[in-house]
Amino acid sequence: MSGQAAIVHDMSLESYGFGGDHPFNPLRIRMTLELCEALGLLEGYPFVASEPATVDDLTTVHSLTYVRVVQKAGRGGGDLWDLMHYGLGGGDNPIFPDMHEACARVVGAVLEACRLVARGEATHAMCISGGLHHALRSRASGFCVYNDAGVAIARLKEEHPGIRVAYVDTDAHHGDGVQWMFYDDPEVLTVSMHESGRYLFPGTGGGEERGRNGGVGYSVNVPLEPFTDDSSWISCFEDLVPEVLRAFEPDLIISQNGCDGHALDPLTHLSATTRLYEHVPKRVHDLAHELCEGRWVATGGGGYDIWRVVPRAWTALWAAVSHQELPEKVSEDWLALRGAQSPVKLPHLMRDDPADYAPAARAPEIANRNRRTTEQVLEKVLPLIH
Amino acid sequence: MLLVKDSMTREVVVLSPETTAAEALAVCRERRVRHLPVLEAERLVGIVSDRDLRSAAPALGDPGRVEALGKLRVSEVMSRDVVSARPDDPIEEAANEMRERRIGCLPVVENDALVGIITSSDVMEALVQLMGAHEPGSRLVVSMPDRPGTLAGAAGIFGELGINLVSTVSGPKQEPPPGEQGPWRAAIFRIDTINPAEAIEILEQAGYSVLWPPKP
Repeated sequence: MSGQAAIVHDMSLESYGFGGDHPFNPLRIRMTLELCEALGLLEGYPFVASEPATVDDLTTVHSLTYVRVVQKAGRGGGDLWDLMHYGLGGGDNPIFPDMHEACARVVGAVLEACRLVARGEATHAMCISGGLHHALRSRASGFCVYNDAGVAIARLKEEHPGIRVAYVDTDAHHGDGVQWMFYDDPEVLTVSMHESGRYLFPGTGGGEERGRNGGVGYSVNVPLEPFTDDSSWISCFEDLVPEVLRAFEPDLIISQNGCDGHALDPLTHLSATTRLYEHVPKRVHDLAHELCEGRWVATGGGGYDIWRVVPRAWTALWAAVSHQELPEKVSEDWLALRGAQSPVKLPHLMRDDPADYAPAARAPEIANRNRRTTEQVLEKVLPLIH
Repeated sequence: MLLVKDSMTREVVVLSPETTAAEALAVCRERRVRHLPVLEAERLVGIVSDRDLRSAAPALGDPGRVEALGKLRVSEVMSRDVVSARPDDPIEEAANEMRERRIGCLPVVENDALVGIITSSDVMEALVQLMGAHEPGSRLVVSMPDRPGTLAGAAGIFGELGINLVSTVSGPKQEPPPGEQGPWRAAIFRIDTINPAEAIEILEQAGYSVLWPPKP
């Protein structure tokens, strides 16, 4: 497998979901992989299996008390007040049977992807079940119970002392959990570009959040205006991400590839299209080759238009990870398989037609504000990164 | 909650009237403070800021400046007419006092003894806490007729959906939206969910006006 791309997955990862009408639906993982397969993009890439993360793995970044509460909740136990205190139950993170095991599997899969890449057994690896970036040390938050990237980074640091990990998060929501876990750590650079927290969950991720103590400068946040489109987002990404990564000189890059900034996404107010979700992984891939011999682990993340957006966006992600051309058309077989179930008409092309996404009247103003934000952030953090 | 004593700094750096301006400025630098109460026999007799001290001496670059700062005593510069707060004052009262008098801090005095100091930064910190801005959540501005029960109605909708409130703040009266009878009032809800879409839909159906990001 050396020099190759690996995809870490097995069916058991699809048991992480909250059931019913909950927007975080593992069907999106299934449909993405079906689309990749129908397009022939999985030929020669058998799924790599993984072990669930252990309690010891999880407590690298979570408190043992919290892990015990999650275990108990998944078996139907726990006091209501206690559960609420830990963010469990209620709207966003309802309790489901064996939730500890389901989430520990996701964490284990991302950990395996990182180990494959760190040991040189694969150059790039993808695990689209990962990307649970809101999970906090002792609290479930925003559909995330355990923090896969957090655990993986903590373990990489133990297993490869001195390793420098860059975490690049382009989910529409701020990557708060991962940021807080490494907020004072100069060996972990977290970069998050997201819709401004003025209105949107979780509310953090302002440009002035830059890290703490020895880690000042190693947390980078670019809050984008609501209704930011591809061209503004891409130009901010290009102005900032290559510069900060070059200054940091990572040994490995982990990307969180949430695709909920798409114009069709019901949870956010951004206006991106598949153009962004094709561009970002390609550029992260280039930067991984430029800076760290290709070592790159890609995870999923948010994405709540599970029919029209997620399968195409993450198929583009896999195409970048595995150095394959992204086909022009959505597979007819896949459309036949899923079209009838879909509550919305499924697109027939892998790339959105720009004509369907007219620029907003305020687009120039939005782009100007984003450019200023990016310049200000870059000016503040760049001198601090060594 | 939200009393001066909840937000004030209890370990206050103080000066004596005999301290020189040079020494006082060194204290400001080392302790990273800008406002220093002046005590004489345990009693508060004045207050001085780093700016007062600097502007009392000849300008920077003047050859006489260093000598002047070494001679100048705090008692010559401090303001003697000190406005103070009490520990049990509501923080908004202290904020209003600072705003009206255009000052950056208030010493906190109880039974003639200095027990703390509250600055405009402490008030900002209290605002952040009040708004719940340090806890994950979505921020909704909800406008409603200024009538009994409307705020409870909005809060009840979140409750029905199982969404916890991180913070709730209700603002002053305002003009009603076009076509409505006034007055209205806006409330800011910080709610513990990544997915406020359903709550917004139900609020709007129930006649509330939800201010959300400006239209594209």
